[in-house]
Amino acid sequence: MIFDKILPYVISELKSKGIDKVHATTSISEKKELNIDAGKISLLRTTFQNSIFIEGIKDDKQASISGNKTSRNEIDTLINKLIESIRISKSDKSNDIAKFQIAESFQKGELRPDLKNMYEKLNSFNEHVISKHKYIKLEQAILDHTHSKSKIMNSNGIDFTVKRGEYGFSPMFTAKKGSLTSSFNYTSYSALDLTDNIKDRGYVDELMKQSVKQLHSKKNKTKFVGKVIVTPHCLPDFISFVENSISDGALISGTSIYKDKLNSKISSSKLSISSNPNSDLIDCGYFITSDGYKAKNIKLIDKGKLKSHLLGIYGANKTGGKRVSNDGGAITISRGDKSFKNMIKDVDRGVLLCRFSGGSPSDNGDFSGVAKNSFYIESGEIKYPITETMISGNIPDMINNIIDISSEQLNFGYCKLPWISFDGLTIS
Amino acid sequence: MDFSNYKKTFKHYTELRVQENSSIRFGLLNGSLVSNEESSNSGVSSRVYKNGNWGFSSNAIINDKSIRNVIKSSSDNAIFLNQMKNQKCGIILPENNYNYQMNLSTKKNKNNNVYWIEFISEIDNYIKNKYSFISSRRIFISNLNMEKNLITSSGTESYSFTPRSLLYVILTIEKDDNLTELMEVYGGLGQLEDNFIKVEDFFKKIDYLVEKLKQKSCGVYPKAGTHEVVLDADLAGILAHEAIGHTTEADFVLGGSVAAEYLNKPVASDLISLIDYANKVNDQICPVPVFVDDEGTKADDVHIIENGILKSYMHNKDSANELGMNLTGNARAFQFSDEPLIRMRNTAIKPGKSKLAEMISTIDNGYYLMTSSNGQADSTSEFMFGVVMGYEIKNGKIGSAIKDTTISGIAFDVLKTVTMVSDEMKWSSGGMCGKKQIIPVGMGGPAIKCKVNIGGR
Repeated sequence: MIFDKILPYVISELKSKGIDKVHATTSISEKKELNIDAGKISLLRTTFQNSIFIEGIKDDKQASISGNKTSRNEIDTLINKLIESIRISKSDKSNDIAKFQIAESFQKGELRPDLKNMYEKLNSFNEHVISKHKYIKLEQAILDHTHSKSKIMNSNGIDFTVKRGEYGFSPMFTAKKGSLTSSFNYTSYSALDLTDNIKDRGYVDELMKQSVKQLHSKKNKTKFVGKVIVTPHCLPDFISFVENSISDGALISGTSIYKDKLNSKISSSKLSISSNPNSDLIDCGYFITSDGYKAKNIKLIDKGKLKSHLLGIYGANKTGGKRVSNDGGAITISRGDKSFKNMIKDVDRGVLLCRFSGGSPSDNGDFSGVAKNSFYIESGEIKYPITETMISGNIPDMINNIIDISSEQLNFGYCKLPWISFDGLTIS
Repeated sequence: MDFSNYKKTFKHYTELRVQENSSIRFGLLNGSLVSNEESSNSGVSSRVYKNGNWGFSSNAIINDKSIRNVIKSSSDNAIFLNQMKNQKCGIILPENNYNYQMNLSTKKNKNNNVYWIEFISEIDNYIKNKYSFISSRRIFISNLNMEKNLITSSGTESYSFTPRSLLYVILTIEKDDNLTELMEVYGGLGQLEDNFIKVEDFFKKIDYLVEKLKQKSCGVYPKAGTHEVVLDADLAGILAHEAIGHTTEADFVLGGSVAAEYLNKPVASDLISLIDYANKVNDQICPVPVFVDDEGTKADDVHIIENGILKSYMHNKDSANELGMNLTGNARAFQFSDEPLIRMRNTAIKPGKSKLAEMISTIDNGYYLMTSSNGQADSTSEFMFGVVMGYEIKNGKIGSAIKDTTISGIAFDVLKTVTMVSDEMKWSSGGMCGKKQIIPVGMGGPAIKCKVNIGGR
């Protein structure tokens, strides 16, 4: 079917067959992906994908179906299967779809990539690694561009169109010198254009220098309670616990420790966290939430106070909480007033935590895991890289024990984060 | 559709794959149906090798025009890389072809979706009525079918239908403002009708899960440090997969893994033999059976460690060519739009001769660690696994349950501390591995007695 006709047809067919409410999305995308494997550019991928997602509600009974075929016959099959799934579903008054909003179109980024420019940027990065980081083995690096066009419509009359083009870059590497091997490390960033040199984004050069130092990592031999500076690359491992705890799943099941904490202080007053999906601060956010609302930027924590839960339509109806037009992600943490360098000077004994390999935190936020690609700090100086070192603590306690937040931030295109130092973590 | 006709259009080394992944998922959260989903993702892909470069292309549309287009587009992509001063003439990839048909779809009558919603509702009601102190119940049931047709220019024609169905039960107790959660996964290879025959069969398993959850809710923090432990099959399996398996995937070896230095050297106690099984162990089919990989290579068992000596890596065509080693059949792709990568199939330590009870009885002060939540490893073989169920061992006897923790170590060092291996082989349900793409994997094995670092207080 013609792209623009798919969703009006789906909604009209389902309404004519007695379905009360319909929410549907469809998209068409093309991805170009260049891959370095074991230090050589050796694979170019082009993938074409379609997708269609339909959610229907009748008599408060809900079901959804998705596929990647958009011929009339295939869509009719999806519609018939969905009607059957709705019929056998369970009635739940919390099921609903987004209310009417004015139709709108959005566009962001370069819709057509320059493949030769992509190749040259990746090749130049590869040559830079070979010439400037002789002990680094680039296990894999991926530079891709995805162009997509999406439609979001529902039976209440919403009609959004989104066109976007985004680049993504993600290298993974290890330092190797003779029989010495460092831990692998990686990073990633997203961008709307490819004007910068790849090596200048995402702190890649610095991470590679750190990996070479990590060839000579030492085992931590003593257990102590100390300070830990968490880098922007590693911060999402801890902040995601807060995000998950204020989202639908944890709030509906009642397992969130923040369920009754709206407008209460849950962290140090130095901490302010926002989700900015539709902001110039974040290149690659999103325009529309998964439940069909135009995305809004919101403050999650403002100077230590929990300002909002991240409830969608179902979660808000189920818990009686307030729905927000925001799916989370696109996180920015406000900068502090101390430089990263001075934050290190303030650590008498602790760790610069650059990557964390940990188990999922328990519902109350207890966690433990291994400090990877990290460094021991003593008397205000980075002393040496560490191996076989565990960090443990409790995330709600941790965000209450913030010492400082750096004045520098790293922008990954999908989030913008500073360095944060925490007190009172167990290092063993 | 007969795809073999397209072979005559191949101009270079070419793989053509038509694949559909279809799934259903139903979920209850405290009795409310929060997941009632069905999805299908299918399409065609082609991968071409020419003068040292690979081109790949895929399309969701499966018809004559799109198939010809992806073959041409993948060929154009390889040629593009060749033209960017990047070609290496004269490289011939190792060839291996194998024709095999594997259809593991259920032979039973299929139940409709309402049956499965009722199935999980009965489990939910059982828990709600019998255990009122459970504060949160999450019950999910899912089925994933992966159906692949593959032809290659070197002669392979294969078909596979590999289903996996799983039941997740996640329960929480709230006690003195503390939340304690425990999850169990049931099922594995096969469709829902094969794995979930009678709902009553699961009531005893739920009773066992609740008992463990109650013990865990009164659990103690383990003591941080290095301890003697018994890792049960679930954890020994994740150790085999994450910490040893990944370091011996040949793309990791080429990328700097520490295992590059260890071939034919002792890396473990001589009690340890570790195998990536292709499809069967002692004539019993494995959780993720692979007879032909997605490059068309016959899948063989890879004997990674034999009696403590590192003997082999896992390969695709590229790595076998680069390192001059034999093909193993480890190249696998998850979706039609994914290229094959070196992936494990069913990775496990070979059972030994000890009994689990005897192993526990030999530890004066340590831990019996049973269930993992997640795991990660490194090019150095340093690993971290989340442990969500375990017990203290005091004077050779099981003591208090412990709270959630993590264990870590350097796997090649930890395996040298193994002093006992149990005689029982168990596979975990539901293993998924992430490496650019996710993919189902099998992992398991016997219990092992060794020393690891435990994170605690």
